[in-house]
Amino acid sequence: MAKITLGRYSPYTSFIHRMDPRNKIFCLIALMVAVFFQYSTWEITFIMGGILFLIVLIMMFISHVSFKQLLLSLKSLWFVVLFLLLINAIIPPKDASMIAFSINGFNIYFEAIFQSLKIVLRLVLMVSTTMVLTSTTKPLDLTYALEWYLTPLKLIKFPAHEVAMTISIALRFIPTLLDETDRIMKAQASRGVDFKHGKMSSRFKAIISLIVPLFISAFQRSEELADAMEARGYDPKAKRTRYHKMRFHLSDLFAFIFCGAVMAGVIIVSHYGFTLNTDHFIPWLCIAGCGILTYIILLGIYDVESRKAIQ
Amino acid sequence: MINFEHVYFTYSPKSPIEFEALNDVSLTIKDGSFTCLVGKTGCGKSTLIQQLNGLLFPTKGKVIVDNFVISSIKKERTKKLQPLRKHLGIVFQFSENQLFEESVEEDVAFGPMNFGIKKEEAIKIAHESLKKVGIGEEYFKKSPFELSGGEKRRVSIAGILALEPKILVLDEPTAGLDPKGSKEMLSLFKKLNESGTTIILVSHDMDIVFEYASDVIVLCDGKVSYVGKPSDLFLDDVSKYSLETPMLAKVVQKLVSKGYSLNLDKIHNLESLVEELKEVKHG
Repeated sequence: MAKITLGRYSPYTSFIHRMDPRNKIFCLIALMVAVFFQYSTWEITFIMGGILFLIVLIMMFISHVSFKQLLLSLKSLWFVVLFLLLINAIIPPKDASMIAFSINGFNIYFEAIFQSLKIVLRLVLMVSTTMVLTSTTKPLDLTYALEWYLTPLKLIKFPAHEVAMTISIALRFIPTLLDETDRIMKAQASRGVDFKHGKMSSRFKAIISLIVPLFISAFQRSEELADAMEARGYDPKAKRTRYHKMRFHLSDLFAFIFCGAVMAGVIIVSHYGFTLNTDHFIPWLCIAGCGILTYIILLGIYDVESRKAIQ
Repeated sequence: MINFEHVYFTYSPKSPIEFEALNDVSLTIKDGSFTCLVGKTGCGKSTLIQQLNGLLFPTKGKVIVDNFVISSIKKERTKKLQPLRKHLGIVFQFSENQLFEESVEEDVAFGPMNFGIKKEEAIKIAHESLKKVGIGEEYFKKSPFELSGGEKRRVSIAGILALEPKILVLDEPTAGLDPKGSKEMLSLFKKLNESGTTIILVSHDMDIVFEYASDVIVLCDGKVSYVGKPSDLFLDDVSKYSLETPMLAKVVQKLVSKGYSLNLDKIHNLESLVEELKEVKHG
């Protein structure tokens, strides 16, 4: 299934790949929050959006996520864009004043267009940051990180380990089930099933011929897995050590500071705009954050190059 | 006739998990032959058979199956693949996973109905092919999921036989069947072959290959390393292809080294060996 490689983990050794997964999740959330801030004017909105987009692009470059992959995953979004544009055109924002053009006396406002553009930009940013996360982190590492975040909840008897285990098993079986889907599709195609063309009724039948065997094999697998786990004495309550320890490196500290700085910068800009007043100490912090950003990015690129040289 | 012309196939090209499964494969499979495809796991057998009905397209080169062309170049390809899939039926490994219908007969009739045959007639064809694979009438109305593993396998094979293909491709059809069932299935394939169907069989069991094949193709790391008769292959040293010498071939080798002059082409199984030995004795 070459088609569903979007957001799949790809084994490189970049700076982002080697980051602590716990930290990666934190940074992702920080960046996502930053994406969703409101600004006083449209200019600032798009400048900040542009800056965030640039940051994400650089992250994508470092972590070997190609721009083509991003475009592919956005392919299905065009419908959403159209829908947003339509809704915004019919129900313009309250303060809409700038008329872009009018069709038969029906006014289309610039604000409406901007509004939809803003939402699309946010969607793109969200998808691309998530893609950076999932393609640089093994699914298992992600669940370990999640379990770490859930540990405090053990105090209120929340089954953190069980939840993490369930998620990691589910993630583990996604590729297996995709391969299974591929196998069954090929077997049914050899029996003359056409998954792409044909009438509604025959396509419905085609889907059934895929889903029924898939479910049966999934149930069978889960039963076998449960038996195998029990046979090896699995006990969810048992105390256990880890084979892979998560470590917080120096580079993680940099990334942590950088994402914090981005968030701080975004909060400041959304509060004060770009008017830099020396009375405000915080804007300077924001600039310092940007300084650290460049430093880290240089570090990351340097790192990638040196890794390549070693290989 | 099936022709492979310099076929290359690469999985996920230009990515870190790129894998070249077929490398410059050129071969011919004659009409009416019983061709066995052998080689160790991961050598490209499954990839090769998926080229045959256009489930995969070569990354370079082309495959010609009678009038159908499966090429890396879009323009050269046969546009409609449905007729090809009726002409060439593939039974995949663990084919019992493809069952889904409510009853055995409906599942077998599913294939023919996809090719535009009316339901009543498809059911009739289904009954015939179920009988061929040794599934009795009492099973026709049962759910396929109530059957045992071996019976499921038979039903799924019947599902392909119901398409009445001119070329039948089987990927490890006997793996996991009991010895008796395995023998029954193989003699069915032999019978089909004698009535004119070309059989392509993927197998790891060299005894089967030695007994049934008229031609053998050995694949090794995506390349064809041997094409020819099984007797020529197995009376040579086959460990270089990481294959086992079949039991019977070992016996024949011993006999030949002890000075018996046997007609190797005629020996396929125990009975034919005994016949040959009788002739040597009398002659």
